[in-house]
Amino acid sequence: MKKEGLAARVSGLSAFFPVVLVSAIFLAIFLKALPLLSLKSWSHLIFSSAWQPQKGEFGLWPFIIGTLSVTAVAFLLALPVSLFTALYLAEYAPNRARKMFLPAIDLLAGLPSVIYGMWGMLMVVPLVSKYLAPLFGTSSSGYCLLTAGVVLAVMIMPTIIHVSVEVLGSVPVSLKEAALALGATRFEVVRYVILKKARPGLLAACILGLARAFGETIAVLMVVGNVPEIPRSLFSPAYPIPALLANNYGEMLSIPGYESALNLAALILLLLVIIFSLLARLYLSRLIRRSV
Amino acid sequence: MVDHGRISLKGVNVFYGKNQVLKDISLNIPAHSITVIIGPSGCGKTTLLKCFNRLLDEVEEARVEGEILFDGQNIYAPEVDVTQVRKRMGLLSQKPQVLPMSIYENVAFGPRIHGLQNKKKIDHVVEKYLRLAGLWDEVKARLSEPASRLSIGQQQRLCLARGLAVEPEILLCDEPTSALDPQSSRNVEAQLLRLKENYTIVLVTHILRQARRLADYVAFLYLGELIEFGPASEVLTSPQDPRTRAYITGEIS
Amino acid sequence: MLRQPLSADIRLKRRKRLDRAFHCLMLISASLVVIFLLLILGIILGKSLPALKISMITRTPGTGYYLGQEGGILNAIVGSMEITTGATLLALIIALPGVIFLNTYLKKKSAWAELIRLMLDILWGIPSIVYGAFGFLLMLTLHLRASLLAGMVTLALVELPILARSVDETMRLVPSELKEAAFSLGASRWQTATRVVLRQVFPGLITAILIALGRGLGDAASVLFTAGYTDRLTTSLLQPVATLPLAIFFQLNSPFPEVQQRAFASAAILTLMILAISLAARFLGRHLGRHRIK
Repeated sequence: MKKEGLAARVSGLSAFFPVVLVSAIFLAIFLKALPLLSLKSWSHLIFSSAWQPQKGEFGLWPFIIGTLSVTAVAFLLALPVSLFTALYLAEYAPNRARKMFLPAIDLLAGLPSVIYGMWGMLMVVPLVSKYLAPLFGTSSSGYCLLTAGVVLAVMIMPTIIHVSVEVLGSVPVSLKEAALALGATRFEVVRYVILKKARPGLLAACILGLARAFGETIAVLMVVGNVPEIPRSLFSPAYPIPALLANNYGEMLSIPGYESALNLAALILLLLVIIFSLLARLYLSRLIRRSV
Repeated sequence: MVDHGRISLKGVNVFYGKNQVLKDISLNIPAHSITVIIGPSGCGKTTLLKCFNRLLDEVEEARVEGEILFDGQNIYAPEVDVTQVRKRMGLLSQKPQVLPMSIYENVAFGPRIHGLQNKKKIDHVVEKYLRLAGLWDEVKARLSEPASRLSIGQQQRLCLARGLAVEPEILLCDEPTSALDPQSSRNVEAQLLRLKENYTIVLVTHILRQARRLADYVAFLYLGELIEFGPASEVLTSPQDPRTRAYITGEIS
Repeated sequence: MLRQPLSADIRLKRRKRLDRAFHCLMLISASLVVIFLLLILGIILGKSLPALKISMITRTPGTGYYLGQEGGILNAIVGSMEITTGATLLALIIALPGVIFLNTYLKKKSAWAELIRLMLDILWGIPSIVYGAFGFLLMLTLHLRASLLAGMVTLALVELPILARSVDETMRLVPSELKEAAFSLGASRWQTATRVVLRQVFPGLITAILIALGRGLGDAASVLFTAGYTDRLTTSLLQPVATLPLAIFFQLNSPFPEVQQRAFASAAILTLMILAISLAARFLGRHLGRHRIK
């Protein structure tokens, strides 16, 4: 009996670890960001675009906009492709195609981000600088918002597709049959019945994809250009928060306030991601509750 | 137009992969009556029903051979449009499957996709078929509520109204009362008896008493074969085949 | 006989066209995804072939390696294996008892279980760069240098939610009848968990470990400030350690084409390692399930 009690206590401790870890990460970064927050106001630090660490100017706005715009471009590119692919896999594809396709999707999801970054440098960067930018009458080094968006889009597609396929698979076959029996075409069944039934789950899939996009670091860093300015067009470079951290976090000790500023950036990123994770969970659990 | 609303099967074979689930079924289903298909579970009743409105098309490994003539035309002929076939046959499934929309929209869905756009006409159609399914008085005050809030018995009648709203000539019912309580079951049965004047009804059931209550004609399926078909009074009281007799007396189930 | 009046005919044609257009769009999207996959794999393998010599995996960088001289990336291959194996083991030790607790001691809908699962979801969503930052802060507090140990701990934190969540998923699917059967034989909760439940989820556990391993192997952002980098083989927990993703990253930024070529070769090696792991996950997941009650 004694052994039993010990096992329960140790494993209980381990079960509680995630709670401790989340609090620890949040607190550590928050405490490190605090010194700067006591010097300058939140709104100044967030909305100022002056990033000049040597002069004590730590405006994070370019990085916030960088993060949001890279994510937005990636999401807009990935969403239609992912959704159509997921619908194809869940509703139309013959069983054999589905069995080949899903492992390929998982493979794509498993590739390291440095590989995606390399692909971006080798293919997307030249494509954008040589062909796409001239096509739109501008010039670009290719290391820009659009390139990062394309690379990131390909990276988040597997996530969105995988979750969407699972969500779509949970729509009962008999419901589809009921709509088909009324003489609906398959497209009408998808549009009016399946998409409606699966909407919260699909939303959750998108949010999970978004959360992943926010935090992606190495691949984006390799192709986005890393210039701390607000990007003016798809062909301008940007500088998202993860790239800022990756480039500077390890060697930040020399300038006063700098460390704090980087931690504040990390805190903003953390908050963004936590909000999105919570949203995704909300929608997913609501879906599950409804289907039970 | 003598044949109006009539289905006849000629040598229908159905395979799931290599498995043959229906064997050489030939059958004439008379118009404006209730034909009940009985048989032990797994005998292919539901498969047979799904042949009629070509829902088997959706099952990848299923293959249908033979002809199903609907008003003289083979519905499996290549030039036939499957949505038009299905439009002419309503389906009532085992568990009511309400669409994820309001009560009103559920009934309006069919007419809308088939081209009805006039709001007044749709209102009219919705009311007409909800009345026909015996549901109007219960739901007229809450038409915009999600259909999923209805009781399960009400949902099944809503499905009936929805099926009727595309103006089919045939109603296919796959054990439509199996998920319902006795009161709701009787309610649905009563609607079906009223509807047979204007519709050809094919009903699959494993409840013999239900067959007795409803059937004008009875088909007995056993292990994928059509054993016996004829007027209900004959098949249910003096079956010719020993297997039918065994089923009716409860020896095989 | 299945004729329609003319306007209905036109409408039907339009609906059919829409249906077909939609089908085409879906096919195009699905092919796009396949094309991307092939492009990525193709360009890595294609670019790497000229530099893929046996010395890449048998030698550490010699003098002048980063100027294009002889050498290989054995340091990074071994380093990656060390750090990832260590991190995965560490993550397993921290996570597994907790997941067992979650599934045997707590009720399915208890508030604690909900909270812990919520935290796991949040941890899962936290980007690895943030873990890297946290690991760095932890390192500073403990007066550690960038080292195998620091990198391992940080990477373990990244892998923890991946591991815990997928083990939890499989454990939740264990039928409660199975647990009840064990209880009725007089087994304690802990005995039931370790001897019955764990055996039942064993294939899932292996798959989860391999998935975490693969993720750890490819992760660069978390080890960027915590693991350091070295051209030698790492033999102690307190020495810095080289990792493959960082080796690729650094070599890719080199101005020398020879060095860049090696980045491609390194990428091919990393990709092959990850492919092997994900194939193993698939294979083992399928073949270990002999003792499972279905």
